Amino acid sequence: MLATYFGQDCPRAWEMMPWVLQNRATKKQADWLASHLAQCEACRTEFAQQQRLQQAMSLPSEVEVDAEAGLQRLLGRLDTPAAEEPKRTRAGGWLTRALVAAILIQAIGIGALGLKMWSTDQTASYRTLSQEEPAPATSGTLRVVPDASMTLGDWNALLHSLQLQVVGGPNDVGAYTLAPVSAKSIKPNTLQQLRAARGIRLAEPVTGAP
Amino acid sequence: MNDADVPADATDRVLLQRMSTGDRTALATLYRSYHGRLCRFLSRLTRRPDIIEEVINDCFWIAWQKAGDFRGDSRVSTWIMGIAYRCGLKALRQHGEEAVEDSIPEDRTPADDPDEDRELRDWLSKGLERLSTDQRIVVELVYGEGHTLDDVATIMQCPVGTVKARLFHARVKLRNVLPALAEGSITVKERNDQVP
Ligand SMILES: [Zn+2]
Repeated sequence: MLATYFGQDCPRAWEMMPWVLQNRATKKQADWLASHLAQCEACRTEFAQQQRLQQAMSLPSEVEVDAEAGLQRLLGRLDTPAAEEPKRTRAGGWLTRALVAAILIQAIGIGALGLKMWSTDQTASYRTLSQEEPAPATSGTLRVVPDASMTLGDWNALLHSLQLQVVGGPNDVGAYTLAPVSAKSIKPNTLQQLRAARGIRLAEPVTGAP
Repeated sequence: MNDADVPADATDRVLLQRMSTGDRTALATLYRSYHGRLCRFLSRLTRRPDIIEEVINDCFWIAWQKAGDFRGDSRVSTWIMGIAYRCGLKALRQHGEEAVEDSIPEDRTPADDPDEDRELRDWLSKGLERLSTDQRIVVELVYGEGHTLDDVATIMQCPVGTVKARLFHARVKLRNVLPALAEGSITVKERNDQVP
């Protein structure tokens, strides 16, 4: 028995056991293991132990955690974006409060200069807003800054309801360029709806002609 | 891929897609369907129910935020377990020693646990307490959750070879620690057991 265990097939049998237990092995592999187990008591013992291990690991957790109570707390958390998660502001996420402040200051300045300025100005002071513009602005193109607390789900839902798509951005102050999904979907009050939408910090037309 | 994986993953993908459009019903469905396995997975890290809930909620908070980013190059279950694993490690760091303390009073163990299950749990706990955290996680993912080596490597963000080594050493330890089923079974010396 001991001798057989250290036979050349045993390591292979050993390695194969978990995957046969998971039903992931091919029939050929499973058959091979079965024939090895038939002649190797040590591997048979190990396989029985492995089966017992799988059975024990599959028992439900004995730490009781109420799923419904936890879910309610999670849903409540989604509704309180003010309790900002640190992980929400990580790189690649939505823009930080500091950047929101920066763009609002710029927006006030732009407002004073007129909207035309925003879309055509090329000087350094406004470059962050218009840099990396993907294509010449077409009719109905908008520049929008979502709030840091807005979820991706709410953002998607809003774009869908207004028949808009992201065509550019976010630039480094978090402004996205949006365009109608199709020419037919241009609606006159899109801008007003965006400005009224929860989670939208700033919405301005790029061409000035919504 | 196991035959059972395909339809389950297709369902999960639909739920994730709906979540990316803000559908909370989809979130609730996914939450309920993963709650049991996440509880068990996380109970290998901590016995504290409040910490387990916190980690599950952190995990689904992230899944909710990132549902639209899911690229589909792994199964949804692998993606979610990976998030839960990272959230779990983070919670362990934050809570320190208190997370490791066994906080289940005897009378809190499920009353309807048949003797046979009780015996099996006791047998298992003797083995698991001898494993490192990483080894316990690998054993849970392979035997408890039915993940492949590749899945486990994705979840733990490490090379497949590392997972293989962790699984191997965990098995050798378990084999030597756990009372064997059959009479006269042999104890294997670790150095003799290296799989090529
Ligand atoms: Zn053998």
